[in-house]
Amino acid sequence: MTAAWRVGIDIGGTFTDVVAVDGAGGSVRMGKVLSQADPVAGIVTACRSIGIELPAASDIMYGTTMATNAIVEGRLAPIALIATEGFAEVLDIGRQNRRELYKMAVTPRPEPLVARESRLEARQRMDAAGAELTPLTDAEIARLAAAVRALGVESVAVSLIHSYLNGDHEARIGEGLKGVVPFVALSHQLNPEPREYERTNATVMNAALMPLVARHLEQLIERLGARTGLHMFHSAGGMASAASIASRPLALALSGPAAGVAAAAAVARRLGLPRVISFDMGGTTTDVSIIVDGRMHIDSNQRMAGYPIRQMMVAVETIGAGGGSIARQDGQAVRVGPDSAGADPGPACYGLGGTQPTVADANIILGYIESGRRLGGSVQLDVARAEAAFAPLARAFGTSVQGAALGVRQVANANMARALRRVTIEHGVDARTCTLLAFGGAGPMHAVSLAREFGIGKVLVPRFSSGFSAFGCMTAEMNYAEQRPLHMRSSRWDATELASIAGRIAERLKEPMIKAGCAPESLRVAVAGLLRYTGQSDAVEVPLVAPYDVLATDRAFKATHERLYGFATDEVWEVDTLRVTVSAPPKQTLATLPAEAVAASTEPVARRACWFDGDQPRETPLYDRDRLPAGRKIAGPAIIADTWSTVIVEPGSTAWADEHAHLHIDLEGGRK
Amino acid sequence: MTRDAAPRPDAFTVEVIRNALTAIAEEMSLVIMRSARSPLLREAGDLSSALTDAEGGLIAQGRDIPAHLGIMGSTVQEFLKRVPKSRLRPGDVWFLNLPEVGGNHLPDVKAIRPVFAEGAVQAFAVSLAHWADVGGARPGSYVPDARDAWQEGLRIPPLRLFTSAGPDREKLDLVVANVRGGEEREGDILAQMAATRSADERLQELLASYGAATVQAAIADIHDQSEAKMRAAIREIPDGVYEGEDFLDHDGIDDHPIAVRVRVTIAGEEATFDFTATDDAAKGPLNATPFTAGASVFYAMKAIAGPDIQPNAGCGRPLKVITRPGSLVHPPWSRPVVGGNHETSQRMVDAIFKAMERVVPERLSAGGSTTSGLLLFGGTDPRTGLWTTLYEVHAGGEGARAERDGGPTARPHMSNVMNTPAEIIETFYPIRIERQALRPGSGGRGRHRGGPGQERHYRILAPEMAMTSMVERTVIPPYGLQGGEPGLPFEIVVERADGRRTAISGKTHVTLHAGDCVIMKSSGGGGYGAPEQQAKGQERT
Repeated sequence: MTAAWRVGIDIGGTFTDVVAVDGAGGSVRMGKVLSQADPVAGIVTACRSIGIELPAASDIMYGTTMATNAIVEGRLAPIALIATEGFAEVLDIGRQNRRELYKMAVTPRPEPLVARESRLEARQRMDAAGAELTPLTDAEIARLAAAVRALGVESVAVSLIHSYLNGDHEARIGEGLKGVVPFVALSHQLNPEPREYERTNATVMNAALMPLVARHLEQLIERLGARTGLHMFHSAGGMASAASIASRPLALALSGPAAGVAAAAAVARRLGLPRVISFDMGGTTTDVSIIVDGRMHIDSNQRMAGYPIRQMMVAVETIGAGGGSIARQDGQAVRVGPDSAGADPGPACYGLGGTQPTVADANIILGYIESGRRLGGSVQLDVARAEAAFAPLARAFGTSVQGAALGVRQVANANMARALRRVTIEHGVDARTCTLLAFGGAGPMHAVSLAREFGIGKVLVPRFSSGFSAFGCMTAEMNYAEQRPLHMRSSRWDATELASIAGRIAERLKEPMIKAGCAPESLRVAVAGLLRYTGQSDAVEVPLVAPYDVLATDRAFKATHERLYGFATDEVWEVDTLRVTVSAPPKQTLATLPAEAVAASTEPVARRACWFDGDQPRETPLYDRDRLPAGRKIAGPAIIADTWSTVIVEPGSTAWADEHAHLHIDLEGGRK
Repeated sequence: MTRDAAPRPDAFTVEVIRNALTAIAEEMSLVIMRSARSPLLREAGDLSSALTDAEGGLIAQGRDIPAHLGIMGSTVQEFLKRVPKSRLRPGDVWFLNLPEVGGNHLPDVKAIRPVFAEGAVQAFAVSLAHWADVGGARPGSYVPDARDAWQEGLRIPPLRLFTSAGPDREKLDLVVANVRGGEEREGDILAQMAATRSADERLQELLASYGAATVQAAIADIHDQSEAKMRAAIREIPDGVYEGEDFLDHDGIDDHPIAVRVRVTIAGEEATFDFTATDDAAKGPLNATPFTAGASVFYAMKAIAGPDIQPNAGCGRPLKVITRPGSLVHPPWSRPVVGGNHETSQRMVDAIFKAMERVVPERLSAGGSTTSGLLLFGGTDPRTGLWTTLYEVHAGGEGARAERDGGPTARPHMSNVMNTPAEIIETFYPIRIERQALRPGSGGRGRHRGGPGQERHYRILAPEMAMTSMVERTVIPPYGLQGGEPGLPFEIVVERADGRRTAISGKTHVTLHAGDCVIMKSSGGGGYGAPEQQAKGQERT
């Protein structure tokens, strides 16, 4: 019998990364292949590249930028919206404020995501107590269904006034649309909170993502078979079942980036690093996020492409600059990105047909990556092609190809510096006191020069840096969460009712986890309430502990309110929303992963000519990362590489590996 | 202070401190929105936050309301004339709303907290919140026919409501006893206190890690940087004297338009805004304080000349504002001012835009809904037996620009207050929103068309409610630029339960009963460029 593999996969714009551990925990494999247009084929190829056929996987833990890219690039399916009569233009009016105070040239708000002619009004109405004011007739449902059919869309968002109190009309319209369209998103299920603009927008975005995500998951599950558990990494840094994702795909909005940040937070906690900037540079984009005291920054008030998203997501700053970013002349300046050569055709050095100069081509020209090296089986890097791509740029600026390559790297680094600035100093955190935790295919190649520019004294390149997001998927805590409105007031407290509701939700959440092989006794249930004084807008999260004593809850709420806002009163409060989370401890962590048994060696495996400034190349030793003994210091310039990653240790910096095989790089003159 | 001994911080340190200060101001707004009790603050965000230096020079502000932000500095400066620094203690929070103390109108109540380090005041944290009621003759404290300042509500001179020991209960009770919705107001006061407390804590961290001298040197540098950028931006505008005027519909008492006139002199890297030719002070509540005039000029020049410049006291140094005592924008302190804050302040911006149309038309937007479009509903909610006041502002269509059409319903210029969602209104007030939609055809024609306004229908569910309007642009519509046509003006219609319809004035109060419906139609934006140019091959829908 084949070993049952637990497989973490991260599909990015350019590469698909895979990390797998066998069921016994005895062996770990890592691979990287070019992303494919068909993501299911991409997963199959990635697993095959490390000798795993899909049926041999017990669990697939999977993060993807599929939804992120669709939102950011505006590739959303055309949908219809059904709104309460008189409210079809809520999306145009928004909250009537403008996004820029002083920049009149900027449009006040982005365009609505549903064309006006695809918005229908339903004759029906609930009041503010959730009671039916105007009934919804069957004839009206039939009329709406016919109108939807005439529009020829395959997905419909339904967002009716006060549906968060009473979802009956939405549910009946949903029933009526069965057989008319394959996908329906109902606002009372997706975002059961008041405020019609934000709820409608979240519902519309879900509906517009459904065809893409649901079809993909369907194909993937068919391919995996029934015995493999499929878990999706969601935007708030945990796992959810494929079924729950198919019905709320907006939870994937930051799936890919969140996996990397979650893994970075785990490393920060383990090494006790108080302030970490997670710096994930891939082929197409770079994601930057701040981790303070080991905690990711989670924010439910974020926007993507200007639209309110309204769900818990890790706060990530994304910029369109990566290894595949294309450089071009713009008057007397050089611009890099945001367009990327992606996986197809890829940078010129891949030899897959790309002819435009990219950041990855610059790195091979400068000697940082060895020409002739193989990437993902099919790709063999070729410096001659990179140089040919850079020749026009070098001619235009009267410099050598190396000079042009250094210039392109500088511009790319400046782009990334702006993202670093946004996540640190704009939050009042001094970047110089942070550790730059660099991963992704290109991150470790740029981290040291970026750190120097910022005055950051310490760079950390974690083990599995090249497939770190896939690794994050595999080692993430499996947790499933559900929240529902409760509206229980302190003056009408019912502990028995609360316990019964929380218990039912917990049982429902445990089901897929037990099916995925978690021992029932290992599952932890956490119940929390979002509490507020009656009349307040934002609620504070307070843990609710059985037997749900009202006085204990009162004390906890007031203490939290006092801590956050500096005051608390004796007024009536209410549990607005109940949130139940069931989690299983991760089966793998960094500490439990097997170490590779290889003979240690501090001798350089080769020496190469590398350019670090405009004049002359420097003779630079190359070390094998897998064989570097813990604690041994390597002074720059040096290159430390393994099969998948290349770490540039620039002149003036010193690198050493710790006992977990993380690589630390200290910069001269930086704060420690 | 040991300012002289401080080495000049490097550019990187200044940048970190600048962004930290802005983050602190932005966080104040988040704290108050999350903890306040009244929907006007927590939903519509009618509030602003700022940090000033020890002398009242604006350092940093949240992304809030320009009409508020423009008077934060003057409020602290005038406050310090009344309350010397020797009387300030760590942990104090002083509340005030007197317009003559650097301010604008009574509903905007400011909480000022001195931030101490190394034994001296280093900065002030200011939290401004629009109270949904501040007492006075009518619910919501908007009295369209007020003839003096005392009819407009409770006048609070600088009053220390909190010390490091906690609230001063008796003073707090005095304030709360004199405004409607006392419990909600007390919650808002606590939220303002909490916002200043969060700023104090964050500033303490910053001062501790860099030292007061370095932070003060950085602040001075930040001001100098903005000043230099504003001077450079003014240099790019051709020298000259430019005049502009626009009109208010009426002041609620005398039924005729009131002129706002400005004479802009651009000379090298300085600009002077002389409002001397503006009409005399109004009898009704459309007067604006000279501090508000300063806020309007600050906004207009930021938007026209330097949208990217960090807004702080440095931007204001090359700008000079002249107001004539006795005029609409420098009235005797006995005159009412409640509407001037958001109506006349906007008209000053409009007048400046019309003056600048001759030189920099490509930088301007045509006229938008430069009015609060305010409707105030007050009455007892039969579901709870409690008094409620809904303060709702309405945006109209955006003015068109040289390069594009105006967008739908957006707050322009001095305001950026959000709407209250229909679901929130229906939950907290005895009102049903029957329709909220765009107002088709309301945008002015032009090479680029003005954006459409909106319609909102308010059905009254309580046996009785009082409604007050404070709406401009009902007579004089939003203007077009460069030959573009004006947008449609605001319209407010009351449809009685029996079907009778009456158009009502922009400054009045009416009594409504169950079943009555108020139909609000907001203005369309002005067009840009002659409409004929659109007909030639650029037809749009």
